[in-house]
This record gives sequence, structure tokens and C-alpha cells, in this order.
Amino acid sequence: METLQYAIRKLIYAIPLLFGVTFLSFILMVHFGPDLTYSILPKSATQEQIEEIRAELGYDLPFLQRYGKFMKEVVTLDFGSSTSSGEKVSSILKKAVPVSFLVALPAFILANLLGILLALYAANHRGRFPDKAVMVLAAIGMSISYLMVVIAFQLIFCTSYGLNWFPVQGWVEPPPDYPDATAGEIFYYYWYYYWSYVAVPTLASIFVALGYNTRFFRAVIVEELNRDYVRTARAYGVRNRKIMMKHVLKNAMIPISTRIIITLPFVVIAGNLVVEKFFGIPGVGLVTYDAITNGDLPIVKAVVTCTAVLYVLALILTDIVYKIIDPRISYSK
Amino acid sequence: MSEKEVIVGRESLWTKSGRKLLRDRAGVAAMVVVGIYGIIALLVSFGVIAQDWDKLGEEGFEGMSAAHWFGTNINGQDIFARALQGIKTAFQVGVVVAISATAIGGILGAIAGYFHRTIVDEVIMWIYGCIDAIPFYLFVAAVAFALKGAEFTVPVLDLHISLAPYAMHIAMIATFWSSTCRIVRGEVIKIRGLEYIQAAKAIGVGPLTIIRRHVMPNTSHLLLVQSTIAFVGAIKSEVILTFLGLGVKEGVSWGIMLSESINDVLRGHMGNFLGASGFLFVLVIAFNMFADALQDALDPKKVSG
Amino acid sequence: MMSFPRPLPLLGLLTCLAAVIGLTGCKKPFSDRAQDVSVFRFSDNGAPVTMDPVQSATQYANLMTTSIYDQLYEYKYLARPYELKPRLAEALPEVSEDGLLYTFRIKKGVRYSDHECFPGGRGREVVAGDFVYSMKRMFDPKNLPQGEWLWQGKIVGMDEWKKTGADYAQSIEGLRALDDHTIQIKLNKPFPQLTYTFAMGYSSFVPREAVELYGKEFGINPVGSGPYVLKSFTTKKAILMRNPNYREEFFNLEYEGYDPKKQSGLGLEKLDGNRLPIMDTAEVYFMKEEMSRWNSLNKGTEIHYGVIPIELTHMVTENLKPLKLKPDYEKKFTAMNLPELGIVYLYFNMSNPIIGHHPDPEQNRRNLLLRKAIRAGYDWPQRNRRYYNGIATIFPGTIPKGLDGYDETLGNESVTPDYEQAKRHLKEGGWTPENLPELDYNSVAGVRMTQLYEQFRGWMGKIGYPREKIKFVQYATFGDYNKAVKQKNCTLIGMAWGLDYPDAENVLQLFYGPNGSPGSNSSNFDDPEYNELFKKSIVMQPGPERTEIYRQLNKMIVDQVPAICGLSRNTLTVWHKNVVFLPSRNPHGSLLKYAYVFEDSKD
Repeated sequence: METLQYAIRKLIYAIPLLFGVTFLSFILMVHFGPDLTYSILPKSATQEQIEEIRAELGYDLPFLQRYGKFMKEVVTLDFGSSTSSGEKVSSILKKAVPVSFLVALPAFILANLLGILLALYAANHRGRFPDKAVMVLAAIGMSISYLMVVIAFQLIFCTSYGLNWFPVQGWVEPPPDYPDATAGEIFYYYWYYYWSYVAVPTLASIFVALGYNTRFFRAVIVEELNRDYVRTARAYGVRNRKIMMKHVLKNAMIPISTRIIITLPFVVIAGNLVVEKFFGIPGVGLVTYDAITNGDLPIVKAVVTCTAVLYVLALILTDIVYKIIDPRISYSK
Repeated sequence: MSEKEVIVGRESLWTKSGRKLLRDRAGVAAMVVVGIYGIIALLVSFGVIAQDWDKLGEEGFEGMSAAHWFGTNINGQDIFARALQGIKTAFQVGVVVAISATAIGGILGAIAGYFHRTIVDEVIMWIYGCIDAIPFYLFVAAVAFALKGAEFTVPVLDLHISLAPYAMHIAMIATFWSSTCRIVRGEVIKIRGLEYIQAAKAIGVGPLTIIRRHVMPNTSHLLLVQSTIAFVGAIKSEVILTFLGLGVKEGVSWGIMLSESINDVLRGHMGNFLGASGFLFVLVIAFNMFADALQDALDPKKVSG
Repeated sequence: MMSFPRPLPLLGLLTCLAAVIGLTGCKKPFSDRAQDVSVFRFSDNGAPVTMDPVQSATQYANLMTTSIYDQLYEYKYLARPYELKPRLAEALPEVSEDGLLYTFRIKKGVRYSDHECFPGGRGREVVAGDFVYSMKRMFDPKNLPQGEWLWQGKIVGMDEWKKTGADYAQSIEGLRALDDHTIQIKLNKPFPQLTYTFAMGYSSFVPREAVELYGKEFGINPVGSGPYVLKSFTTKKAILMRNPNYREEFFNLEYEGYDPKKQSGLGLEKLDGNRLPIMDTAEVYFMKEEMSRWNSLNKGTEIHYGVIPIELTHMVTENLKPLKLKPDYEKKFTAMNLPELGIVYLYFNMSNPIIGHHPDPEQNRRNLLLRKAIRAGYDWPQRNRRYYNGIATIFPGTIPKGLDGYDETLGNESVTPDYEQAKRHLKEGGWTPENLPELDYNSVAGVRMTQLYEQFRGWMGKIGYPREKIKFVQYATFGDYNKAVKQKNCTLIGMAWGLDYPDAENVLQLFYGPNGSPGSNSSNFDDPEYNELFKKSIVMQPGPERTEIYRQLNKMIVDQVPAICGLSRNTLTVWHKNVVFLPSRNPHGSLLKYAYVFEDSKD
């Protein structure tokens, strides 16, 4: 009950934030945003045609009216159709969101999991060689540009100069139309192509994220290890492994899960723009980027709004999770 | 009276930290590397070296040789000279972004912290909350678009400066300040409860004076560390943003070279890739290590030790 | 004491790697099945956004609309130079003596593909009224049409129809369906290229029922009467199936313009007498990324047709002129050097007095000399070597080879760099490094564009133009760039133009004064003599007299230098040995119906 109240209070608190994000998006992406007029202008045009297109796209409306229209779309979550293809924004996103999710998921899980394991390992050997080795590797990982990794990995894994194991770019297509294909074969088809497209982006993303994750997680765990209760437990002869797993990790989970939850909305909806652009994966990141560069405003509006809403929801969720798993808060009340 | 004490305290903190920093071998090495980069950047800026970076060669894609250490690119331009020019660009981007972002973040953070639990604090928190909620690259893309026709006008001199070439800088500053702001705000919330601040308040010193004289100086160590982080962030973001077509508009940068190399490596020419990524990697790792050493040295918990 | 599992992290990493790598050892899904030989897998380097004919401005969209919809005419498959043949029309139009009244008769009994938008789901007959409706859609601003300019001001009453609110119930004097199979068009002035425009995707026959059913989503749900119907569409791939209602159409080798001297050895003889479309299914892969396109082609089991990426040319080919592949590839592919019917050029914005037209005759003369000096510094051959594999065609003026009006006698001086000449021009015009104007080089942002700019600046350095006076102005998108161009804000404008039809009028109009921005004449070149001559030529029927005028116009462009031109790109196309195909680009539309994949594949 108390948690519920807390959640509701947080939700009310989030309204100005949502308002601000949508207003900022409107100013940046709609009011000053790209102008579709000149992308779809015929090879030869007249001033009248330019005016016609602007009127058709609603660019000629006054500021407040455009903002009003935008807010109406936000509130009703009805963003209409893409101005370039005429396809419904909802159907575009319905296709793109799962793709982004599937691309980001393996890297997200592995980078966090491996990060925690490496951090535990390093923290456990604090100040000695394994710790230093891990930290140096983390520093190297943090210092490499994402673009470098992507170019190098593509060269190694995807071209005839290297191993040439995976396709350079692309995403899973619907399977070929064999009337006698079994469910197993179709599943294998998807499984096979999913991994062949997702492997290199995943490796690259892990490579880049791991350094940051390990450092962050190690700092959190070390801080926890420095607490009095660890010393006390050690003094009582509790086994190291038990201390690590039962107490240290459990307490360290608060900042760790906060970080993971906060990054989730970006993984789910915003997609990883760089990965998707470089590997030609039709996820939300690429769709949005193309929409920004083409001036396809309905898509931009929808993505920014949804990301912001999810982000704010994630903030609230972390607060609540924090409240549930932080023993100090529950003890004090 | 209280002011003097603070300054004395601060100076001793700085000298202590300086001594500590010098004892950190990795930190010193990193500092030397950053220093060398800095000197090269200055030499390039003043036109001493690497001035023929855009001179066309007769043929493109030459291999490595004594004349061209990293070979030449598609236009027959010397890749080594371009990589050195890239140092200048990197420093220019890094310094502008780091200083602006930490200055804005520091000032707003100090104000927010000092006016904790007032509407001022709420508004500042609200602003960075909004910016954090928009994915970084989309935000930068949007800022780049918003600024395409924007002009900055100096009223008296009747100067019109187009903002479009600086869209990337502005976008980075607009996002990078928020982390500094958050950290400084947290620190100031702690500081404002201290006695000397309360005392200053009691004798009627204005809030802005207190922030300027007593609060800000006590966050300078945080600002120093934050600015090194912002510097590295800016250099790394430049590469990605240039790849996305939102980056450096004039001259040459490592981002431009890496983007060029995407096509080059498929032809079997690694010059651009090796040149740009080598220089970038060394600078970033040196800066990261320097930032770490700095953080350790300035950590007040460890200063006493 | 340290019982913490030490090798765990490493182990985790290794398992993941093993899982991923292990996959490459697995067999490919469906690899045990015989390959379906009734499918032609075509690929293109970009994807259409929409398949609404009124917006089919790109080659990708045009490919789809000309596959799915019918137009009145199309180009013969093999004839070069290009030659029209009737498609939905019975024959070439009947034209009145004064060239103003056109009568088109369309084939009887042609039906749309079956679709739920028609009563009973059965495709109804294609009638002349469909054409009238489709053309009206082109003039209805609500559809954001892109091909309107082709007919603007030319059809009697069309522009008034649009001005009075684009009411579909209203009839248009110059565009009428006399009966179900006769279309009559009345022109304001002669327009000899009219028939050509009816071979473009823009002029497709669209059924009103489908537009009304789908509304805005009509663009991704095309319904037509062409050889293929769309089965599925994503931005990566379109699957086209034979239209069961497609009329009987047989391939006639001779009629299509087969030239045994130039076209033997491609197996085209096999096509003779086949019913079109030859393949039941045509798949179009939209592959922007050249490397994945090449890899897919090279595997032998995926796409049948593609291009050699410029980065790999040296690995794949032995010789470029004439094209010869290395033995390994020779066994697998047929290759062809495919020229574009188009031109790449650099405009000067002539409305900018620092470089273009100037009211003061003396300044005007100096500006001309400056433009000439810049042109003399422009190293087309180097650009060709570095960026087009050295296989592009460079020609003086704006009329590319193969078109009526192409002038072999025009010397190559205007496309050959001559730095001494450049310096002489500058001296003659009194230009010194101090008084040379600052020039904006405008372009879309991007690495390739930056490279081109740096190359240009390097050339200008050679003629003595100070480096800092050549500014790079970048635009984040083509739309922004186009906006600046259309608003006359650019100085040096790199452009490419693909011809809409094989008539030099289509490139000469790029310099016609009244077509200035936002029209297609982005140089804003406005020369009274040129305008007069051009106006005279556009109403003329083809003939030696018109050819002479075209040549004069072309010469004026070389003399007045409103642009540095030009270059036509070439593409190294390759297709599998077991496919009979002859690729072509604009003005051809879809050629999918002619492709033939034969069964005795060795793969």
C-alpha cells in the first residue's frame, strides 16, 4: 500500500517531466526540424508547388496550432501515417521495435552478466594482479571508439580479408515459401539467420560496453566490501564465497539494477542507432534516423514520445525497486 | 576570515594532490602523453607542421613509405599529416566542449544545490531530466537540424556568426553538462550545510556572492575531473557523429578518417584506419588514465592519507 | 580461502563465442532443397519508399510501378538507341497536323489483377477513364505528386482544373476519354516528347477503386494490370508474382531490336517466342550496401544480378576496357559495362553576381573568365580515375553520347585540365589571389562529398586560388541542400541528372532561363539568345534542323560556362551464367518480365 502511494506520487511528479520532454522534442524536431518539402520536391518545381506541399504537410500552420496538433497526437498516441510511404506509424513501429529488441538483447544481457562476473573477480582480488589486469583491459575497452571496433570486426568476421563467416549487413527475411516446410525447419531458419546477423553486432557491442560495465560494477562492489559488516562477518569466520554472494552482491545489486533498468528503455525502443546504421538492421534506431534525415515527422514524434514515456516510467520503476530491495529504507519505516 | 581559511585549505589540498599525482607513475606517463599531443596540436595550429595535409597526390592509395608514413588516401593526400591535423581538431572539439559543459554544469549545479528544495532546484533538475530522456544521438541529430540556419548575432559589432558548423559542439555541450550538474549539485547540498556558509548567510552575504566565493571554489576539484571526462567523451562522440554525418564540418578529423576507412579497408588499404584509430586510442587511453590519477589524487578521503 | 570461482568469467565468454562460432559450421536452412528455378532474383542499390505512381520519382519506385502497372508505351528491350513500342496502347498515337491533338487507342479486354477492391474481387477491364483519373491524380496536390512538371502548362485545361480545387468530377478539355478505349489529349503548344512521357511510371493506369480502398496506404498496396502483382514488400525485398490476368504477350526477338553483332553470346535467342513474363516470380532485393550485395551474388545461391563494388574491382576484373573478369569469376558470371543515360556536372550559380551574370559588362566578362579558369583547373580525368574506376565517359557540353544533338566535333578542351590556360584566364580577367571572391562549395554532408570537395580545392590550389577562399558548406540532408539550391543560396552546386526520356531537350532545359530555381535550372543561367533558341527547338519535330539547334545550344553552354560538364557514369554489372538478361537503366522501366533463368544450372 505504501509502495503504491509512493508510485502514484512519483507518477504525478513525472507529468512535468513528460511535458518538458515532449515540448523539447517539439521545438527541436518539429518546429526547427527537418523540412520534408524539399526532399519530395519534383525535379523541376514552381514556387506554387512548394507552397502546396507545405500546406499539405501542415508546415504553414502557426506555431501554437502545430504544437496543439502535436500534443493531441501525443495524448491520443495516434501519430498518423508516415509522410513518405503513407504507412501507419504504428505498423512501422510494430515491425521495428522487436527487431531493435532482438538485436540489443544478447549484447545487453551478456555485457551486464560478464561485467558483473569480471567485477566480482577483480574486486575479490583487489589490488593484486588479476584486479589490475582486469582494470587495464577495462581501460583499453573504454578507450576504443565504437566505430573502430565495428570496422575491425566487420573486416575480421565479414569479409574475404578475414574469416568471412557472417553477412556484412542485413536482417532476417521471411523464410522461403516451401509448402511442405516443417515447423522445425522454419524455426531453424529463423534461429540460423538471427544468429548470423546478430553475432557481429553483439560481439562489437559487448566489447565496447564491457569496459564501462566492469569498472562501474567493480567500484560498486569494492565500496560494499569496504563496509563494516563485511569485516565483521569475516571476523566471525563466514566463508568468503558466502559473504560475496549473500551480502555483498545482494547489496551491490541496488546500484547495479538501477543502472540496468535505466538503460532498458533505450534498449527496447530507441535502439542502438550506430549498430543498426552500420549493420543495416531495420530497427527503431535506423528507422528514426532515416525519419530525421528525411523529415518524416510522424515517426520522429512517435519514437521520441514513446522513449521519453518509457524512460520516465523506468525512473519510477527504479525508485520503486530501490525502495523494495534497499533494506535500510524498509527497516527505518 | 572564513574566506581566507577556505583558500588556505584549498591550496593545501591542491599542493597535496599535486604531490600525490606526481607519485602516480601511470598518471605521470599519461600526463606526458597528453602533453605531447597538446604540443603537437599547438604546432599544427600555428602552422608549423602538417600543413600539406590536403595537398593532392598524383595517384591515390599509395602504400606506406618514408615520404608517407601511413600511405595516402583516395585523393593522394598524406594520411600521417591528416592524422596530425586530427589532433588539432580533437583538442579543439575536446577543449571547447569540456570547458563549456563543465562551466554550465558547475554553475547550474551550484545554484541548484544551494537552492536545494526550492523552485530553482526543481527547474534545473527538470531541465536535465528532459535532456536525459531523449536518446543522445537522436538529440544531437535534432540539434544539428535545428541549428542549420541559426545565426548568432553580436549586436554592437553587427557580427553574424553561423551556428551550423558548431551544431555538433553545441549538441554535445547541451547533453554533457547534465552529469556535471548532477554531481556538483550533490556536493553543494553537502557543502551548504557547513558552518562557514551558514555564518556567511547569517551576516547577510547575498546568495550569489556565497555561491561565487564560497561554494564554487570548493567544487573545483570535481569540475577538473568532470572536464577530463567530458574531453574524452567529446573526442569519442565526434567519431560517431561524423560517421552519422553530423560531425566536424571543416578541416579533417579522426572521425572523417575512420569514416573514409570504411570503404578503404575493403580495397585492402588500412592507412586511414590504422592512422586515425592509433592516434585516437593513445590519446583517449592516456586521458582516461590521467583522469583516473587525477580523481585518486583529488579524492578528499585519500588526501589526508 | 579464495574459493571464488575464478575461471567463471572466462568460461562464460568462451561459451558464448563457441555458440556463435559453432553456428557457422551448421548447414544452411533449406540448403537440402532444390533451388527454385522459376524465380528471378534481381537486386538494386536502393529501396522505393512508395509505389504510388504519382510519386515514382526514383529508379527504385519506377522499377516497381512499371512492373505492376501498365503504361501506354515502353521501350523495346534490346534496341539501342532506345525505341518506343506500344504497351497498353494499340499503336503509336495519331497526331494532328499541327502537333496539338493526340489520339491514343488502348488494347481491349485488358484486365486489372484480381483484388478485393473490385466488385466480386475480380479485376475489371482497364479503360481510358482510368488514364484520365490517373493523370488527374498527378495534378492533385493532396497526393504530393512528383511528375507534374512533365505536363505542366502543356495540356489544355489541366492547370485550371488544379487551380479550381482539383475536383475529380470536373472534366478537363484537353484530357478526355472519348470512349472506353480512346484517349484524346489536346495540347497548348506542340510537345514532341509527349509520347515518351507516357512510358514513365508516372503515367501508370491506376484503378480508382484501389485508391479509394487504401487511402494513404495506397502507396504500399499497389493494384495494377502489369505483368506482375505484388505479393510482399519490405524495404529490403519485394516479391512479385505473375499476374494471372495478364494478357497474352509473346517475345519477338527481331521486333525488340536484337542486334546479332553486339548482342550475341548472351543467350537472348532463347527468349524468342516465350510468353511474358517468362518467370513466374521475380524477387527484387533492395541492397544499399554494395558489399553485402556482392557477397550475396557471389554465393551463387542468392541474387542473380548485381554490380561489382568499386572497392573490389581490382580483385574481380582483369581488364576494364573492354571488361574482362578474372577466370574464377568469368566461369560464374556474365559481365557488362552498363552506361547511364545521365550526366554528372558542377553548376555555377549564375544568379550570384560574384561569379555569374553581372549587369556591368566588364564585370560580366571577368566573371566568365573566372569560370573558364575554374573549369580549366577541373580535372575530370583524375576524378574519373579516382572515383569512377576510370571507366566513366567524359564529354564536353551537356548532351551525352548516343543522343540526337551529341556533337563529335566539339573539342575536348573544356573537359581537359590545363593549368597554364587557367592562369592565363585569371590574368586576362585581372584576377589575383587578393581579389578572387570567396566561393561556397555546397554539398550534402558525407565523407565522399568531403573527399570530392578536397579534391576540388586541391585543383583550385593549382590554379592559384587561395585555399581559405574555397569554403565547404554542408547540408545534413538532401532536402536541406535542395532547399538551399532552390532558394539560390548556393554557389557551386554538384548535381547529377538522369534523363527521363532519350531526347536532348531533357538536358538542354536544365539551362533554360524560365526554368530557373526552384525549377530544374539550378544554375539560373539566363541568356536571351539561348532562351530564344531553346524555345524554338522544343516545338520542333526531330530532324536535322532541330539537331543543328541542339548543337548550337550545347556549344553555348560550353562557351558561357554556366556549368562544368560533364561525365556519364558506368556500372560494372554482373549476372549468373544461367540467366538470360540484358540490364539497362533509365529510360527503361522494369525489365523483369524478360528475364529467363534456365534449368540446367551447373551450381
